[in-house]
Amino acid sequence: MSLAEKAPPLAGGRAASDSIWALRWKRFRQHRGGVASLVVLALLAAFCLAAGPLETLRGVDAVQTDLFKRYEPPSAEHWLGTDDAGRDELARLMRGGQISLLVGLLATVIGGVFGVTLGLLAGYFGGRLDSALMRFTDGMIALPLLPLLIVLGAIDLTKLGFSPDTAHSPSMSFWRIIVIIALVDWTAIARLVRASTLSVKEREFVLASRAGGAGHLHIMAAHILPNIITPIIVAFTLTVGRVILFESVLSFLGFGVTPPTPSWGNMLNNAQELVTVAPALAIYPGLLIFITVIAVNFLGDAMQHAFDPRSEE
Amino acid sequence: MTAYLVWRLIQTAVVLLVMSFVIYGLIGLMPGDPVDIMAASIPGMTPEVMANLKAIYGLDQPLMTRYARWLMAALGGDFGYSRTHSLPVLQVLAPALLQTCKLMVASFVLSVILSMALGLISALRPGGWVDSIISLFAFAGISVPVFWLALILILAFAVGLQWLPASGMGRVGDYGFWDQTRHLVLPVLTLTLANTGQFTRYVRAAMIETLQMDFVRTARAKGAAPSRVVFVHALRNAMVPVVTIMALSFGTLFSGALVTETMFAQMGMGKMIYDSILSNDFNLALTGLLFATLVTLIANFAADIAYALLDPRITLQ
Amino acid sequence: MSLKKSLAALGAAGLLMAAGPAFAAKDQLTIGVAQFPSTLHPNIDAEVIKSYTLGFVIRQITAFDKNWKNGCLLCTELPSVQNGLAKIIDLPDGKKGMQVTIKLKPDLKWGDGEKVTAKDLEFTWRIARDPKTGFSNTHPWSRAIKVDVVDDSTAVLTLDKVIASYNEWDQVLPAHIEGPVYEKAKEAGDYVKQTTYARSPTTAGLYNGPYLVSGYQSGSQIVLEPNPHWPGTKPGFKRIVIKLIENTAALQANLLSGDVDMVAGEGVGLTIDQVLELRKQHPDRFTYLFKPSLNYEHIDLQIGNPILKDVRVRQALIYAADRKTLTERLFQGMQPVADTWVNPLSTNFTKDTIHYPYDPAKAKALLAEAGWKPGPDGVCRNDKGERLSVEFGTTAGNRLRELQQSVLQNNWKASCIEARIKNEPARTFFGETLKKRAYGGLAMYAWSSAVTESPRRTLGSDNIPTEANGWGGANYIAFSNKRMDELIDKSEAALDPEEQKKLWHDMQQIYASEAPVIPLFFRAEAHVFPKWLKGYEPTGHGDWGSFESENWRSE
Repeated sequence: MSLAEKAPPLAGGRAASDSIWALRWKRFRQHRGGVASLVVLALLAAFCLAAGPLETLRGVDAVQTDLFKRYEPPSAEHWLGTDDAGRDELARLMRGGQISLLVGLLATVIGGVFGVTLGLLAGYFGGRLDSALMRFTDGMIALPLLPLLIVLGAIDLTKLGFSPDTAHSPSMSFWRIIVIIALVDWTAIARLVRASTLSVKEREFVLASRAGGAGHLHIMAAHILPNIITPIIVAFTLTVGRVILFESVLSFLGFGVTPPTPSWGNMLNNAQELVTVAPALAIYPGLLIFITVIAVNFLGDAMQHAFDPRSEE
Repeated sequence: MTAYLVWRLIQTAVVLLVMSFVIYGLIGLMPGDPVDIMAASIPGMTPEVMANLKAIYGLDQPLMTRYARWLMAALGGDFGYSRTHSLPVLQVLAPALLQTCKLMVASFVLSVILSMALGLISALRPGGWVDSIISLFAFAGISVPVFWLALILILAFAVGLQWLPASGMGRVGDYGFWDQTRHLVLPVLTLTLANTGQFTRYVRAAMIETLQMDFVRTARAKGAAPSRVVFVHALRNAMVPVVTIMALSFGTLFSGALVTETMFAQMGMGKMIYDSILSNDFNLALTGLLFATLVTLIANFAADIAYALLDPRITLQ
Repeated sequence: MSLKKSLAALGAAGLLMAAGPAFAAKDQLTIGVAQFPSTLHPNIDAEVIKSYTLGFVIRQITAFDKNWKNGCLLCTELPSVQNGLAKIIDLPDGKKGMQVTIKLKPDLKWGDGEKVTAKDLEFTWRIARDPKTGFSNTHPWSRAIKVDVVDDSTAVLTLDKVIASYNEWDQVLPAHIEGPVYEKAKEAGDYVKQTTYARSPTTAGLYNGPYLVSGYQSGSQIVLEPNPHWPGTKPGFKRIVIKLIENTAALQANLLSGDVDMVAGEGVGLTIDQVLELRKQHPDRFTYLFKPSLNYEHIDLQIGNPILKDVRVRQALIYAADRKTLTERLFQGMQPVADTWVNPLSTNFTKDTIHYPYDPAKAKALLAEAGWKPGPDGVCRNDKGERLSVEFGTTAGNRLRELQQSVLQNNWKASCIEARIKNEPARTFFGETLKKRAYGGLAMYAWSSAVTESPRRTLGSDNIPTEANGWGGANYIAFSNKRMDELIDKSEAALDPEEQKKLWHDMQQIYASEAPVIPLFFRAEAHVFPKWLKGYEPTGHGDWGSFESENWRSE
């Protein structure tokens, strides 16, 4: 490790931000895993977005069943073969990817926003509010996540007042997972944001701003938030991977996205019964989940390396 | 110190109480009265019989009444009767707890040892090719879906190579120490592989940070042998965040084992909780979930204590 | 120690570990199942896995055999009007009742050596009728209003109605063990909690079958060993283990690795297409048997949906579904298409009903007749502009059913019918949706009936679940046809088999032409067992093959 690599300390305000980001980008590029991951994720996103157009181009369907073509090996028409209902496997993987990635992003963002808000308020105001919020957070951390997710996934929405029509629609099953994951997975971000807020709160530029009579909201939004944004970004990135794994586990247990809407998670669950018959059907979605999550994790790691050089070499 | 302990104890009790209420409410929101489900498969179950059974199982009362009754009984040590096992709840949970402990302790110990070793090795030469391989392995561990891993292992070792049993806790007629150990190998392996990755990363990060600290560089500059520096100073200081993370993970290991237990037909707490939720066995689900919460709370508490003991700079408030 | 020596030692240790259990493989039979009973008490909760397990250890008085004929297990002679053991009598209130004499086999003993007597029968009847006991299924015993114990082996039951099922009776409970428990139970539901079947399931005296329960690990496995007091054919195995492996992929793996010898086919093990695939891959490793069963897979149609009110639309739905290809491709023809709820193997089956071959042209014609014409997006529209779109629900998480759904959805799309898939977990589906008729259009599931069971439960007007009757009854489609009700009443009282056939013939005709339901197929049980297992004969109905498990042996 060389001393010259150390970045200059963060300054308040935005004047020096351009060169900071350029520096960070440079450091990011040094991390081999990070760059590779970025490429991989971009490819995956393209892969999933291309689902519709590619289907029409190839003339196949993720939904159309064809009982005469079950378990077919890869061919010119079906590039990865067919599944147990004769549907095109590749098309299903692409569609499934859309759902799995969307769930990952949305649940992360929603839960993350909640966590950031909580952590910010706790760290900034301190005192009783901090105490109360942190007790609440600690309480949530104490809960066994997976069983809780199962219980949340199992409840009957009609008993909560939703009409049976809405409660059992496919879009509800999609949003339900997002909501329940977001409900439980914000604690790490909340703690992180609180700790960061505490350290930034006492900086001169914040004190100066307060002395100048700025309101709390303005201080939090304009001064504190931009300076704690980097650990937040890293935390968000790492959460996405965790959330995608959650979705796959929930689908495995039967509380995730419900078929026939494909998601990598429920495709894996489906293929589980067929693992001795058509192992490829189990390998593909599992592999895609694996690649996505590992790429996301490497990305997060690279960002951490880029943003905070003291965290590691 | 005692004041802190008492305070934590109170906090634990409060969390458990709140949790019990929340879970009871959530379970109450689940569909399908168990008696109604029974009726679907029993021809000739008349409405009178259904009403009778609902009264017997206490299902005809409002949620708050049922919760209050449960709470009163629980505080007196009676956690109720499991409908799906036809036994008192504690009698069902006790052996399940033992089984989960075997699984968790074994995989926890193995993960710790493995991750300490791997983290240490990779921290010695960060950026080197050994480090890269270990990091890749660590990342793989935290990225792989556990049930997929379990399936692959079953296929490889039980079906393919036929070295190990595919599931269960013991062979009938045997159940001796070696037999049970054989049956634990694959599940423990699955859990270990999944957890070592996470621990390794933390150990590595903590070790690297410690190795860069001033006092380490000073010791090195003074000419102390590298190995002494590493093991005596760095390890001790790296332990602090590591112990915290590990203790915190112990609680989640508990529920993470749920998937492993299901795949390998191990009658552990995780699987017990899952099964009971699915079959609307209220008493069992509730008690099991509360127990899991208690374990996590205790683990967190232990982590905080260990944290304070290891790092004299920290004082508990 | 040198490397070679270490490896040798490891290898030896490995061999020792692999040595296995005390018994040779063929003295013991390990059965893999995917469900576990909640208790072994015959009258609390009814589960397939429970009655399957009970078949080994405690026998019913009468049961249907593999040829679907009723016969005696515990009695000496099947009561009938012909042999005088059953009589129609006049009851004091002027109605007609029956008197049935049951003579128990004299050498029957419980596992602890006590004789099985008529007192046990009377005891079982008595506690079944007591609502405080908490039996889930009181119907079998509540048919009798009086039981007289004539002597140790003979009991006379008085029934308050003339019913065709007078010679079908279930298990008896041991009065000498359960009697004290019942006496001690004071509050409602106490008996259920204290019953020896739950508290101490390995008590020998609880069982009178060829095997006894020698080990019971709730949620894990049940171990059976021969009953020394069993008077019949000596059981062929020193030990039978029923092992729970819920995950069907793991169950297959266990089968292939030899950890279980066989998988029970009675709907508690692998799905039929898993077994079919297994057979394709390992045709010589096991014996594969596919036995047609009474499990009737069908699609209920929502009577309250205006689209489905017209019988022509309902018939069109059936014509437009290629059920034959579905069963051929998914189940290799093992699960034949059903025309009504009556299985072709049943004595009361008739071929003389409307048949609905796959005929999309006919479907379209019927739809046109009913006022539905193809719209711009391929979905039919009526003159009000409404789309021919219905909801299609089944139990979520069941891969085969989801597969069936996709196929049928596509079939109907080709005939301008849109089926919107909306699945729910089984708990919700059975616990709420079906009973309360909360499904929007189509609901696909299966139910099983006993061999000669009257269709009152599923087709009789008095069995429609309503708020008034607490949602009891299983006539989920709310089928209400006067003629059908008349026929049901008559068939329950008809003791003459020929008359039965006629009545059933008419019932099936009504069912087929009204098309309140889309019949799909009868499930087949898929049995996988080792080549060395002989005497294994599944029955295909609710009196499982385990009822003759003393005949199973290895060779």
